[in-house]
Formats: sequence, C-alpha cells, structure tokens
Amino acid sequence: MTTPSTLPTAPAPAPAPAAVPAPLPHRRRRAPKAPSALLSRAGVTALLALATLYTLLPLTWLLLSSTKSRADLFGTNGFAPGRDMHLAENLEQLFTADGGVYLRWILNTVAYAGVGALLAAVFSVAAGYAFDKLAFPGKERLFSLVLLGVMVPGTALAIPLFLLAAEAGLVNTFWSVFLPGLVFPFGVYLARVFSASYVPDEVLEAARMDGASEFRAFRTIAFPMLAPGFVTIFLFQFTQIWNSFFLPLVMLSDQDLYPVNLGLYVWYSSALSQGHPEDYLLAVVGSLVAVAPLIAVFLMLQRFWKSGMTAGAVK
Amino acid sequence: MLRRTTAALAGSVAALSLLVTACGGAGPDTTPSKATTGKVTFWSFLKGSDHVAEAFNRSHPDIQVTFENVPSNQEYYSKLTNAVKAGTAPDVAVVEYPHLPEFATQGKIEDLSGTLGPVVKERFPEAVRQLVDLGGRTWGVPRDVAPLLLMYRKDFFTRHKIAVPTTWDAYRTMTEQVRKADPDARGGVLFTDNPGLLTALSWQAGAKWFDAGQDSWQVTLDDGPSKRTAAYWGDLAREDLVRSLSAADPFWTSIQKNRTVAYVCASWCAGAHQATVPDQKGKWAVAPVPTWDGKPASGMYGGSSFVIPKGSGNSRAAAEFIKWITTDPEGMKAWVSSGTSSMFPADPALVPVTKAAFGTEYYGGQDLYALGKASYDAVRPGWAWGPVMGATNTALVDRLPKVAGGTVSLPDVLTLAERTTVAQMKQRGMRVTAP
Repeated sequence: MTTPSTLPTAPAPAPAPAAVPAPLPHRRRRAPKAPSALLSRAGVTALLALATLYTLLPLTWLLLSSTKSRADLFGTNGFAPGRDMHLAENLEQLFTADGGVYLRWILNTVAYAGVGALLAAVFSVAAGYAFDKLAFPGKERLFSLVLLGVMVPGTALAIPLFLLAAEAGLVNTFWSVFLPGLVFPFGVYLARVFSASYVPDEVLEAARMDGASEFRAFRTIAFPMLAPGFVTIFLFQFTQIWNSFFLPLVMLSDQDLYPVNLGLYVWYSSALSQGHPEDYLLAVVGSLVAVAPLIAVFLMLQRFWKSGMTAGAVK
Repeated sequence: MLRRTTAALAGSVAALSLLVTACGGAGPDTTPSKATTGKVTFWSFLKGSDHVAEAFNRSHPDIQVTFENVPSNQEYYSKLTNAVKAGTAPDVAVVEYPHLPEFATQGKIEDLSGTLGPVVKERFPEAVRQLVDLGGRTWGVPRDVAPLLLMYRKDFFTRHKIAVPTTWDAYRTMTEQVRKADPDARGGVLFTDNPGLLTALSWQAGAKWFDAGQDSWQVTLDDGPSKRTAAYWGDLAREDLVRSLSAADPFWTSIQKNRTVAYVCASWCAGAHQATVPDQKGKWAVAPVPTWDGKPASGMYGGSSFVIPKGSGNSRAAAEFIKWITTDPEGMKAWVSSGTSSMFPADPALVPVTKAAFGTEYYGGQDLYALGKASYDAVRPGWAWGPVMGATNTALVDRLPKVAGGTVSLPDVLTLAERTTVAQMKQRGMRVTAP
C-alpha cells in the first residue's frame, strides 16, 4: 500500500511573489531581443540540468553503494566511493543468498513482465486494429468501455482482482500476477491510433481483393506495418508490470513466486530493524542488478519507442 | 442517533467478544478429538522463521508447516487483512503487539481463549499478557518482548568523564556534556520515521493511550505523562541535543561515524547493533533505561506475537505450532539458532535458551539478559494498544520530522494524532467516551 501522503503540507504560496516584480524588467528586456533568448535558454538548460540530477543522483548513490562493504555503506559518504571495491563479493552474495532465490525472482519478473507484456501487446494490437478497420455492432460502445479501463488506475483494481482470484482459487499462483498483466486497455487505445495512421485502408482492400482472409490480412500485411506501435505498447506494458508492486504484494506469499521488486522489499523492510544489515546491502545491490535489464531493453528498443511516440503527430 | 449507537455497540469490545464466542470461539474444542495432524501455512517476516518451521517439522512428523516469507511494515498488515477477507489467510501469522487490537476488534483473528488462553495465563507475566488480552479474551501468544535499555559508547563516556544517566534529568545533562566534548557527537536520537520509541517512553512514564471499557474506548494520547515525555524529547531535539533522523540508514551512519554515542533502544537492538556496526566491538555498553524518579520503570519498543487468522482450516495444528514456537525450549532455540539475535523471550523461563545463544563479547561480556530481565520486570502495567494503530502511527510519523525545526511541538503532535485516531475509530463505528 502506498504511504498516505502528509495532510498538512504548507499551502503553496505560488504565483503572488513572482508576479509582483514582473512589469519593470519586462519592458527593459523587450527592446534588445538577445538577453531574453539567452535567459530562456539558460533557464531551460538549468531546468534540464536539475531534471538530470534528479534522475542521476539516486542512480549514482545506487551504483556507488553497491560497490561498498557493509562498514563503508554506513561509514562513508553516499556519493563518495568506498574505501575498497566490494562489488564482486556483493554480487556473489546476492546470487547465493537464500539458496539463490534472487535469480529466481529475476526469472519470475522476466516471465511476468517479458512474456506478459509480449502477449498483452499482441492482444492490444489485434484489438486496436479490429476497432479501427472492422465494422461490427456496438463497436464504439465497446471502445468507450476500453477507454473506461484506461481511466482506472491499476492499483485501485488490485484488491478486486485479489478477491476474484481468491474465488477462482488462483491466489498465490503464477497466474494471479501473470493474467492481469495481459489486459492493457491503454495499449488497445494506442493500437487503434497506430492502425489508423500506419495501415492504409487501400492496402487491406488490395489484400482482400487478392483473396486473403481477414486474419491473414492482419497477420501478414497489417501487423508488420504496426511493428513500431507494437514495440511501443510492449515497452509501456513491460515497465508497468516490471514496476507493479501492490498486485504481487496482495496476491503472492510464496517467496519462490515473487517478482524481483517484492523480493527486494522483503529484504529491505526487515533488514535494519531486525539486525540483518547484510540483507540491506543485498537489497541495494539487488536493486542495481534489477534496473540493468530495464536499461538494456530501452537502449535496444528506443529507436522504435521514439518513432512510436511521435507516430500520428503530423497526420 | 439510534442507528449510530447500535453501530457503535456492534464495534465495541463487549459486543465483539460475545459475537466471537458465538460464532468461532468454541470451534476447536467441539471437534471430535483426534490427533492433530495436517498442513499449516505460516506467515512471518521474523528472522529465523525458516529454522523454526524446519525444526518443528522434524520433531512433529504429523504436522507439516509451510513457512512463507512476507514483507513487513504496514504493507504486511493490509495483506493479512485482505487475505482474511478473501478466505486465503494462512493458519498462523505474526502480528506485532500494536496491531493486535486492530485485528481483534475487526474480527479478523480467532479467539484463542479456549485453546491457548490457559498457556498464556500460565507462562507469561502480566506485563505482556496485557498486550494480547483484550475484552477479557486472549487473541495472540507472545513470542518476544522488547523492554527498554540504554546503549552508550563506554569509551567516549570514560574519555570525557561523562556519567551514565539514571534519570531523565541526568540524561539531559549527559547530552549537553556529549555535545561539549565533541561538537559532532550527540547523546540520543528522536526517530522521525518511527513513533515506536516515543510511545515506549510515554508508556514508561506512566501514560495510558488507550483504555477499552465495557462498550467504549478512552483515547488519551496526550495525557500528563505523555505530554511530559513529549515536551522533554521535543526540547532536546529542538535544542539540537539529540539527533532528529530516520531509523534506517541515516541512524546507522551516525553510529558508524561516531556521531551518535548513546541512544535508548530495546533488548533486540543489541543484536541489530553488533551486526550492523561490527567494527565498534568493545566500545559499547548497555545500561538500564533512565527514569523520571530514579526508580525502575520501563516500556516496550517492539516485540511480536502469533495469531490464528479467521478462516484457518486447521486451527488445532496451528495452535500446537504456536505453542511450540513460543513456549518450548526447542522452539526458542530454533529462533535464535543463527546466534545473532538478542531478542528477549516473552516467557521468562526461556531466558537461559536465548542467553546461551547470544554471545556478548561485543559488549565486553556484559550480562545483557540480566539487564533485560530487570527492565521486563519494570514494564508498567495498564498499557493497551489502540484499535487503529496504523492510522495513529501514520498521524504521528507525518509530523515527527517537523519537531526538530520547531514548526510543531511534540506535545501538539500527540494531540493531533489523538484527534486523527478518534476520528478514525468513530468512522469504524466504535464508541469513544474520552477525552
């Protein structure tokens, strides 16, 4: 469960002070155009630098901390390297702890997120294509149902899903986390947009004229055209399942079925309070290893991702 | 108005105990007695749970216990609540004392009065029985207790000729001396993300936050002793005499870097401390926790018990398992078999078992369990945890980080948390008569 946000945050004293000194320099800056452009460029750069720091600082901490021994972890500055290199030992500990359960968590996550997102992307593309190209009764009404699904956040569905899974006897099984990952309404919506912009009706017309069945037209003609969209949807869902925490938390209690984030949380949550600091270090190193595949997937597929993100921007 | 009163009554303790007896309490006794057998699932986040389950299975071939390692903290309690709701709960689950009333009042756990009640009465002292009994019924069986102790750097205290404080007045003087001796060092901490220590210190001072009456609750988070304690620690934090920081790695960093040279903690901290900061071996010592009047008094910071969630299919075997892991010397031995735990058994008869397992070379061979025993004996009676501790703790933790800066005073934090707690309890249909 997410921690309840603090109620009494100070009321934001937002625009008032900024607005007051505005008029005076405004007129002065107007006349020579260069400083304003320079200022905005410096401003944008500063903002980007801040965002970069925000993204990279935790990663730096993670990277440095993973190389430290336990004494250095608490004894040296978080953003300075430790006194000696301990990464190899830490990694070895990580993969042998609790009978090598970490590797199992990684494999589970790959199955939940990798296979799950792959299937989810296939279903989404097929459904989105059907919504775009085929005519069937109640189509738009069905599609608004899909849009409704987009609006409901996944966390809100975890408990109802859990109760359903309990009815079906699926709690604490692989399927309880895998099956919900196959449903991705936002992917269906995206796929419909992709299909509209990537797959010309004329091509399908030609395929049908040549005697291709609807399924064949989709499989051999439309699907390859939708490849960038497919990858985009896959990546979206992949990260979503990879990061999903609450659903596996309520569904699973068998450690051998845990995805990696839940497993790391088990290590982290009881490590320091129960005097097992080695678990804390394991959680740190484990987090580093767990983000590596995500980075790899993105580096490999960002070409598709980028083209997918801007698809339909012009048309 | 009438509707509301009925709802309030339904949620109240008296009605609850009646209800529970009516529907579930008699279950285990009336089933035809045959040997307890079968499978038992066991949820725990406590270290050593795997060893305990293994050891039990070895000595009890008729019962097969499956241990499932679950995450701790608030996430665990929502998970357990949901599991009971869906009927997929385990047969045995760990619940820390502060959360026990919440599960009991919501009818999420079995009433153990008929099965394990006599064991609890016979083996455990009043100081811990008050934590598992509610409305005259027994809801859990204690495993360990966490009486308060003072941890301090012996070398630092000797070098700077600082006396180990026995009263809170002397403790304040000590924190001043520490800061004077080393501007970077402090003689205590106010945890910003864990209200447990503040609660334990209020308890020690004689506070009573909750009182379950016949059909209503009294909630007094800001009673006299609590206010006194809060004002004292709030002042120390604001004057920068103690550190205000998170109980996770910032705290251990401050220990490792010699910036925290004394702190109040519980018996289990000794093991956690030596495992986390192994290279300060021989520098630390343990003393009784200071008190307001110099006479022994204590409270508890932690500790856990075991319950049988509602819907357990095998509560007879579950009870057998719980009994073994909390009161059998072999069971206790399995808990501490790693040799790193300094937990204090709730059953005083088991102290020799844990004492033998925990080496105290780190603390210069001090008899930690004698100190723990004295503190356990001095735990104030009359303490009870509330029925919505999750909400209470959140209300406290939300404001704790602001205390050191002076934005809010610590006594006010208690008053505000009390308001949140009462509101939450009324929302759940409980009757609150005081304040």
